[in-house]
Amino acid sequence: MTDIIKVDRLCKKFRLKKNAAGLKGLFHPEYKTVTAVDRLSFNIKEGERVAFIGPNGAGKSTTIKMLSSILHPTSGTAEVMGLIPWENRRRLAYHIGTVFGQRSQLWYNLPVQDSFGLIGKIYGLDDIEFRRRLSKLVRLFEIRDLLGHPTRSLSLGQRMRCEIVASLIHRPQILFLDEPTIGLDVTAKEIIRNLVKKQALEENTTLLLTSHDTDDMEKVCDRVIIINKGRLIFDDSIHALKESYLNKKYIEVTDDSGAKIKTVVDTKTTPVKKALDELVQKYHITDITVENPPMEEIIKEIYRRD
Amino acid sequence: MADDFIKTLKLFFYIQKSHFKTAFLSVGDALSNVVIMLINNLSFIFMWWVIFHNKGSINGWDFSDMLLLNAVMNNAFAIFALFARGIQALPEYIDNGSLDNYLVSPQRPLFMIATSESTFANWGDLLTGLICWILSGYTDLLSFALMIYASLCATAVLISYRLLVSSLAFFAGDTQKLGDNIFMAFITFSSQPASIFTGWYKVMFLSIIPAGFISLIPVMLIKTAALPVFLFLSGAAVLSIVISAAFFRFGLKRYASGNRFGVR
Ligand SMILES: Nc1ncnc2c1ncn2[C@@H]1O[C@H](COP(=O)(O)OP(=O)(O)OP(=O)(O)O)[C@@H](O)[C@H]1O
Ligand SMILES: [Mg+2]
Repeated sequence: MTDIIKVDRLCKKFRLKKNAAGLKGLFHPEYKTVTAVDRLSFNIKEGERVAFIGPNGAGKSTTIKMLSSILHPTSGTAEVMGLIPWENRRRLAYHIGTVFGQRSQLWYNLPVQDSFGLIGKIYGLDDIEFRRRLSKLVRLFEIRDLLGHPTRSLSLGQRMRCEIVASLIHRPQILFLDEPTIGLDVTAKEIIRNLVKKQALEENTTLLLTSHDTDDMEKVCDRVIIINKGRLIFDDSIHALKESYLNKKYIEVTDDSGAKIKTVVDTKTTPVKKALDELVQKYHITDITVENPPMEEIIKEIYRRD
Repeated sequence: MADDFIKTLKLFFYIQKSHFKTAFLSVGDALSNVVIMLINNLSFIFMWWVIFHNKGSINGWDFSDMLLLNAVMNNAFAIFALFARGIQALPEYIDNGSLDNYLVSPQRPLFMIATSESTFANWGDLLTGLICWILSGYTDLLSFALMIYASLCATAVLISYRLLVSSLAFFAGDTQKLGDNIFMAFITFSSQPASIFTGWYKVMFLSIIPAGFISLIPVMLIKTAALPVFLFLSGAAVLSIVISAAFFRFGLKRYASGNRFGVR
């Protein structure tokens, strides 16, 4: 399989004016530089579903904007489908789809199906092709009942399903999803995850997905890239991510007064047996659970170590 | 190239069709807005008729000049408002990030921005333009051709100027108000009898606030059919397109390099 996305020492620095207000700011602007993306390198193969994780301000959106041709990098380079995004904006557009959870690409006042129609025309699809494609996506994303409604009248979850359909109409090989589940409730998140994954599997779409919800990454993706302060700090399969932290056990015991006691045991230094023995001696235990660390904790630990 | 043009034209009509559809979701509103716009414009013109009736002429301009001015100006504004209104929303698109949608599109960003909005009521302006032209008496074939040509040049200047003013938002934060105000001044200047601007005002009128190119010069062209005026107006139209398109491109580069934002 070939690398469909190649990122090579990509850097993005933003120059911020420090004293924006007043005459001084106008005539003697002072700048401070923010490094949003810092020598980032990774490759993604066709059909991979990659979670792109990092704390707020890590540079995820900035990276996606460079890969989708919106921003120019400060240095370094990238290739998407063999094209340098920011130099081939219009050509690349036919191959990529973008969904930004914070923003809509649908026409606010138009019925959803009219927005889709416009998108079909913008990508130059002929009518038969367009109808066939749309009816497939409508079935897959279960949005038949929404088609006649204007975007403004949709709930966030309904809108997001339509946004994703809108980004898939032109059959992109790559889909960039920047926080597609932001603001959604548990059920709506689950629906979006399932649909995105199903679509990607069915059409072998390459995914790059950012989210602050680790369930999104666990349920949709097979690989995870973690960045912090613009730098890559982890790049491996989700399975490997879990494995590397399996030496931590979360133990919770309840004593006879009903109080819950939680401890984390590092099995490298303390065998589980020893830890349990200590707990049994100390408390009158009525209940006990031993768990692997939740993904949230693993991610937090990785940020902490960095 | 030609193929590309035809495709773009088709898309243009498709987008207009969907604007129509949106406007006609309530037919009553759509049509009454057009009629109100028309009445509004005509009462403005009636006011000028009263003034000219009492004064005879203003600095050599009579009422027929004023009618020609309104024909051209209304045509130009109507074409802008119907087919390129989105340019007015550019600062907003920059501010809320929806510009990104147009950048990931396979179409030219400026085309997508311009056609993204349309106000149906401004069909009333086009009707006003037609009525003013008929009333002006310059209805022979040559005058008609000149009126159409002058209107197109005026449209080019008007849309270019709006683009220039909107593109300021690439360089400074919130310029929506500033841009709207400058454009408003432009429109106000262009709706006065152009003969009142003399000396330095006239220079300004043909440069930084180029309202003269949608009032004074088009009227001169229709009345005189003189080649120098024709060339002057054509040149101004081409130049304003070149300047504003370059300024927009420059702004877009800056946007793409993320240099627009300042911290408060
Ligand atoms: N246009 C811009 N101008 C100036 N600074 C910017 C701009 N865009 C992003 N930044 C800065 O770059 C850094 C990375 O931002 P980015 O939006 O890529 O982070 P992120 O990983 O997407 O964060 P989040 O999880 O909060 O969405 C931040 O420090 C941010 O303030
Ligand atoms: Mg982000």
